[in-house]
Amino acid sequence: MKFSENISVFNLVFFINLYLFAYNKIKASEISSIEHPTLKVPYEVLNKRFRLAQKSIDRELCHVTNAVSELEKVLISDTKDKNQITSLIGGVMEKLNSFKRKAEDVTQEEIECGRVIKRRVEHLKEHDSTSPAVICQWRKLRLDRLLMEYVLRAGYYNTASELIKGSPIKDLTNLDIFLVANDVEISLKNKDTSKCLAWCHDNKSKLRKHARKHFTGQDQAQMQAVQQCMALLAFPVNTDVSPYKELFSESRWDGLVTQFREENLNLFQISTPSAFSVALQAGLSALKTPHCYRGPLNHNPDCPVCQKNLNELASSLPYAHCSQSRLVCHISGEQLNEHNQPLMLPNGYVYGQKALEQMASENDGFVLCPRSHQTFTLVEAEKY
Amino acid sequence: MDACVAVEKEVDKVLCKFTAFQDRSSLLIRGLYSDLENIKKQIDESEASDDCFTLRDSINLLQNQILARTKEIITNLSTEHRDLHSSVSKVGKAIDKNFTADFACVSHENFFDEGKQDMINEVICRHYLREGCLNVAETLIKDTGIDMPEDAKVPFLELNCILTSLKVHDLEPALEWAKKNREKLRAQKSSLEFKLHRLAYITLISEGQHRIKEAIEYARRHLTGFVHQHEKAIQTLLGCLLYVRSGLENSPYADLLSSCQWIEICEVFTRDACALLGLSVESPLAVCINAGCTALPVLLNIKQVMQQQQVHNMWNSKEELPIEIDLGQNYRYHSIFACPILRQQSTESNPPMRLICGHIISRDALNKLTTGNKLKCPYCPVEQSPSDATHIYF
Ligand SMILES: [Zn+2]
Ligand SMILES: [Zn+2]
Repeated sequence: MKFSENISVFNLVFFINLYLFAYNKIKASEISSIEHPTLKVPYEVLNKRFRLAQKSIDRELCHVTNAVSELEKVLISDTKDKNQITSLIGGVMEKLNSFKRKAEDVTQEEIECGRVIKRRVEHLKEHDSTSPAVICQWRKLRLDRLLMEYVLRAGYYNTASELIKGSPIKDLTNLDIFLVANDVEISLKNKDTSKCLAWCHDNKSKLRKHARKHFTGQDQAQMQAVQQCMALLAFPVNTDVSPYKELFSESRWDGLVTQFREENLNLFQISTPSAFSVALQAGLSALKTPHCYRGPLNHNPDCPVCQKNLNELASSLPYAHCSQSRLVCHISGEQLNEHNQPLMLPNGYVYGQKALEQMASENDGFVLCPRSHQTFTLVEAEKY
Repeated sequence: MDACVAVEKEVDKVLCKFTAFQDRSSLLIRGLYSDLENIKKQIDESEASDDCFTLRDSINLLQNQILARTKEIITNLSTEHRDLHSSVSKVGKAIDKNFTADFACVSHENFFDEGKQDMINEVICRHYLREGCLNVAETLIKDTGIDMPEDAKVPFLELNCILTSLKVHDLEPALEWAKKNREKLRAQKSSLEFKLHRLAYITLISEGQHRIKEAIEYARRHLTGFVHQHEKAIQTLLGCLLYVRSGLENSPYADLLSSCQWIEICEVFTRDACALLGLSVESPLAVCINAGCTALPVLLNIKQVMQQQQVHNMWNSKEELPIEIDLGQNYRYHSIFACPILRQQSTESNPPMRLICGHIISRDALNKLTTGNKLKCPYCPVEQSPSDATHIYF
């Protein structure tokens, strides 16, 4: 199904508008279309931190109120023992102090979490720079960030820790949640569920919400599997309870690790597949031309899709869409235009004027067609 | 950038509010604390003077004011903190509103099939090798168990070594390499070796008059071999000698001292060395990801339209993406011919054909425009036989 045949499906005017819109906003969109996890994950961390902070504050509030009512009880009673009163006042003061300290601490933690988001936003804004050197560096860092997430997801933790050495990406990637995950995974591989249980407990409200949101209707089977896994976590390893006993077979542990990894990503709303994989596919497709698959003679060593592995990876993807001709000199890789006009040799092969002239000047006026290996004189080359 | 600004605005608000809460709670509690401290002291001292009236007063004050205020203030503080949640969640909403959470919707579901993982890992490994991050590459090999031939590393190692030296203005390793590969470099018309010697010579004269003799000696020994190809450049290099005494930086030759010379030599070296080794100048993975990040917003937009129009499967058609993505001139590696009549890209079965008048259309268009044995060019009045058209290769 070619797009051109399908164009009646679209409202053409709307389509053109959208096209222009897409290009006018492209720079901002380049950020907004792939950086969601960069900001959302630290937001989720902040949100979680907020809830924990509220709990701490309420606990301290409770302590103060208890101390106050104890004091009040004595104050309204008839026996007014000064010593008892002053010591109870001391108790209230102590609880107040503890409230103050706790409130300061937890708020500081919240502020730190907020600053993580702020730093990342500031980094993303650098993409707007007018300096090509800054943008070049920024893109390099983006690739490192995307790769970092890719290796963490895949569980290549050693590579990840090698990657952050001497690089600013540590603060810009969601390393922490993966490191927690690594911890749990290692313990799971040692058939120890305690850390995973702690993790479940830590995130139980979110997990419950997530289960409600995602396991509906067609996901019944999956839900059952999850329930089993979750229940499994509640049993000690030496359980005799069926069907959980079977779940403890060797392969189940690997399954558990995979499942845990997915749940952890879902929890932070990190999409599957990874941003790296999505960007890689889009890039391969946007660069893919039929020439990349017409044998080594048609390859361009600078074209990524002409490279061995990427060529194979791109084989199942669609080609780039191209509604207007654009010509590139096969010899020099330069654009063909009014400054470097295309010349056609008598065999029908087209090359740039510059490349052919240079070849002729070094070859007594002869040019060799690199694709057909025929020799002609430069005079035979035609403009068209 | 609006997206970032929108989120930043909310984050700033939250940070502001948290800081204000922190300050306020400390201040209020400090006030309560000192009130309690005073009353405690009063009660303590009233015992000493045995003044029951003062004691009763203090207790009343404590009971009716201080404790009541204590309860009120700390309950309010807890409520105030709870109310901050709406500001916190506004950050989340701003992120969701301005950033695309579901960018994966434009990806091919089975892209990461079994077996492809190793291929991707190998691409990543090669990327880090060429970036000079040997440790990352080696750790990745260990983590993934991919099979990287040892000789895949060697060229990168050497190139990176030389580049590192060039960056600290040490020309020796690069000169060594250029000498070793002189024949191949000459075959690909590289002027790398000349440019390296030229820079060595410039370095000598830039150090002042006392090294002029050395510089002339250097030029005689190393530059004379290049007189044929680089006559003009060598004239310049000798011409500037006249100005060394009065200071090259104030002469017409000042640009010879520019730091750009070193940036340029790094670029020339990378380009020529990569060409010699059959490698791309830029990292293929970096090019892909940059192209992908440019393409994504366009694809996401078109996906939305396609869904509204109930057209699905952007990736299932193994033919073309539904929309053109302009990656810029630097990312064009192959000629594409799009038929000006049918607005389709040429294919093996529908190649570009050159009419005798010089106009080029696709074979399908040619067949459609042919009536009987006559073809009228759509761009000029020349009438011709379709069999006169020839296949053209871009
Ligand atoms: Zn290609
Ligand atoms: Zn014509």
